Amino acid sequence: MNRTGIILLVEDNPDDVELTLRAFERSQVVNQIVVVTDGQAALDYLHRTGAYTDRDAGSTPAVILLDLKLPKLDGLDVLRRLRADERTRRIPVVMLTSSREDSDLLRSYDLGANSFVRKPVDFASFIEAARHLGLYWLILNERPPDGAA
Amino acid sequence: MSLVLVVDDSLTVRMDLADAFEAVGVRAVPCATLAEARRALELEPVELVVLDVLLPDGDGVDFLRELREAPQSAHLPVLVLSAEAEVKHRIRGLETGANEYVGKPYDRGYVVARARELLHARQAPGTDRAPVLIIDDSITFREELRELLQRGGHTVLSAGSGEDGLRLIAAQRPGALLVDGVLPGIDGATVIRRVRLDAALRGLPCILLTASEDRGAELLALDAGADAFVRKDEELEVILARLATVLRHAEQRPPDQAASTLGPKKILAVDDSPTYLHELAAALRAEGYDVVPVRSGEEALELLAVQAVDCVLLDLVMPGLGGHETCRRIKAVPVMREIPLIMLTALEDRGAMLEGLSVGADDYIAKSADFEVLKARVRAQLRRRQFEDEHRRVRERLLQKELEATEARAVRELAETRAGLVAELERKNRELEAFSYSVSHDLRAPLRSIDGFSQALLEDHADALGPRGRDYLGRVRAAAQRMAELIDDLLELSRVSRAELCVGRVDLSALAQAVVAELRRREPERTVTVDIEPGMEMAADRKLMRIVLENLLGNAWKFTSRAADAHITLGTAATEDGAGWAVCDNGAGFDVTFADKLFRPFQRLHSVSEFSGTGIGLATVQRIIDRHGGRVWADATVGAGAIFTFTVAQRQGAGGAGR
Repeated sequence: MNRTGIILLVEDNPDDVELTLRAFERSQVVNQIVVVTDGQAALDYLHRTGAYTDRDAGSTPAVILLDLKLPKLDGLDVLRRLRADERTRRIPVVMLTSSREDSDLLRSYDLGANSFVRKPVDFASFIEAARHLGLYWLILNERPPDGAA
Repeated sequence: MSLVLVVDDSLTVRMDLADAFEAVGVRAVPCATLAEARRALELEPVELVVLDVLLPDGDGVDFLRELREAPQSAHLPVLVLSAEAEVKHRIRGLETGANEYVGKPYDRGYVVARARELLHARQAPGTDRAPVLIIDDSITFREELRELLQRGGHTVLSAGSGEDGLRLIAAQRPGALLVDGVLPGIDGATVIRRVRLDAALRGLPCILLTASEDRGAELLALDAGADAFVRKDEELEVILARLATVLRHAEQRPPDQAASTLGPKKILAVDDSPTYLHELAAALRAEGYDVVPVRSGEEALELLAVQAVDCVLLDLVMPGLGGHETCRRIKAVPVMREIPLIMLTALEDRGAMLEGLSVGADDYIAKSADFEVLKARVRAQLRRRQFEDEHRRVRERLLQKELEATEARAVRELAETRAGLVAELERKNRELEAFSYSVSHDLRAPLRSIDGFSQALLEDHADALGPRGRDYLGRVRAAAQRMAELIDDLLELSRVSRAELCVGRVDLSALAQAVVAELRRREPERTVTVDIEPGMEMAADRKLMRIVLENLLGNAWKFTSRAADAHITLGTAATEDGAGWAVCDNGAGFDVTFADKLFRPFQRLHSVSEFSGTGIGLATVQRIIDRHGGRVWADATVGAGAIFTFTVAQRQGAGGAGR
């Protein structure tokens, strides 16, 4: 496992945060997971603004897990701004959400999401999904060269 | 310049009429015999014929019949000019197709004026003439009559029942109605009664046809409000003559002539005394009127059926049908009701006068040798009629305007209502979409927590829970997952109702193979023989059809799980709706008494412990098949299997690319 890759989890539901963290833990993903609970905080973290002005420049996430429904700015707003910003446009974004609506899928891909995963109700399936996510985005996937990110 | 033939054996008449026509700029060719007339007709186009009846080389009415039977002269206006005094001759001429019948001695001014009216009517465009509607349940008779009327220059509509006819009347506004008395649904008299009840259609001239010899039928027809009555065993030409008469009675004169009392007028004089009739006719002809003298009420009614007149002078005391009864019958006919009718009597009888007026006479006058008073009364009645016509026209115009305004308002209101409904529907759809969305998102989140934390408890605290606690948590998880399934199925049901149909060519065989492959992947331990007919294609929405197959094949898969030798087939099937497809299995089956319930949401015929499922799948299938304009139904035997058959509507250009 790529130990340097940070996972940024953008999720407002504390139950889902807890379950996601547990799913990654159960599927042997030991990377650092940073949790923010709304869209504005996600942008602050990535752009090192607001509460995250002092964040280490090296701690740019390897992948962002983004919920669709979020307070303040929702997932699609966050995605649109990430893709519009030179510093964050190449970071892989996985939409992780309850929705299976075609319109959500289409809009996510249109705005530049790299993947779309529906959170299963069955926890065993959720662990399986987390394992695949970790394997693909942190190990198999070749990230853009440093400095380009 | 118009060309008129004057066919008469009397030189005086030929010269007189030729002069009269030349004076108004109409060229007249005099012919002394029918042979001359035939030659003249071959030489140049003739626009009107003035025709005597008694000619040296033949009968004028026979010649008229000849003209009517030849296509090139079928519509040629013919004015018959005859010395024959008998009403039956006059009727014979009119029924053979004369456009006008003038008795001798004639008034030349009247003849020329009528001839010019006929020429004018001929030049007026005939295309905007409203069609004649025939209602008869015999297609043979309808076609025969249609041919006749078309030869007579009418356009024709037809209907096989009173109900259809009334719908056509409302939609097409015909110019006249010919209706059979005996019809399968509502009868002819009822059709006419309904027409008379409708303010917009009240003026429609109606002729009742009947096969019956019964005189009572005629009274029934008049009672219903028919303008004329024809027995079907009479010659068909009679129908044409009656039709022409009711149309002329009903027709509105062009506005420029409306106010003029100077146009040619025809007066029907009815009296049993030939002497008085002769004097009366002479006095009125001297005023420029054309006079039709008849000797009885019966003759008057018979004549009025084929001859339109402008005024009726009616003797009160006559043998046979008396003046009162004749008057009552004339006034009972809607198109004749407006004809001024003056009752004549030798008696200065107040009671008789009141009775005459009560049956509808417009005026009442005592007979005397001095005709000045009578002429004045006739002039007054004709003037009154003109004024009434004018008033009626003004009223009708106003009514028409009002009607149009009302219609426009109704159309506007309808459009507004429709726009409102569409907006409301769109709003409801948006609401439903928002609702489905939040159901999909928000109802699942708590289920995830229930399942996830139950699992966490099982993993982290299995010992502390003990076997019973672990069992309970297992049930909690099963319940949460079942609810998630329900939510997914409900969302799918709502999605297939809302999704736009993208119809294209679907390879049903390939789609079914893919669905079966997925079933085998999920339960590799099962051995099921699946036969799918190759090469099945249909025009449908591929995505929705996949859901249909997932449900039908999925059910067959599920319900054969306890069958020893599970076997599923999918193939084309002949149904009473045309070609369809059927999924067949040898599984658990069900009691067919409940076959209809199957397609309602949440209806299950098996307990969850027997076979899993939410009871929404078949409702979804039905919704999809519905949207394809098809039908789905089930047949089964308990313990022996089930067949689900479905069809979709045939679409034009199904082979083309889907949208």
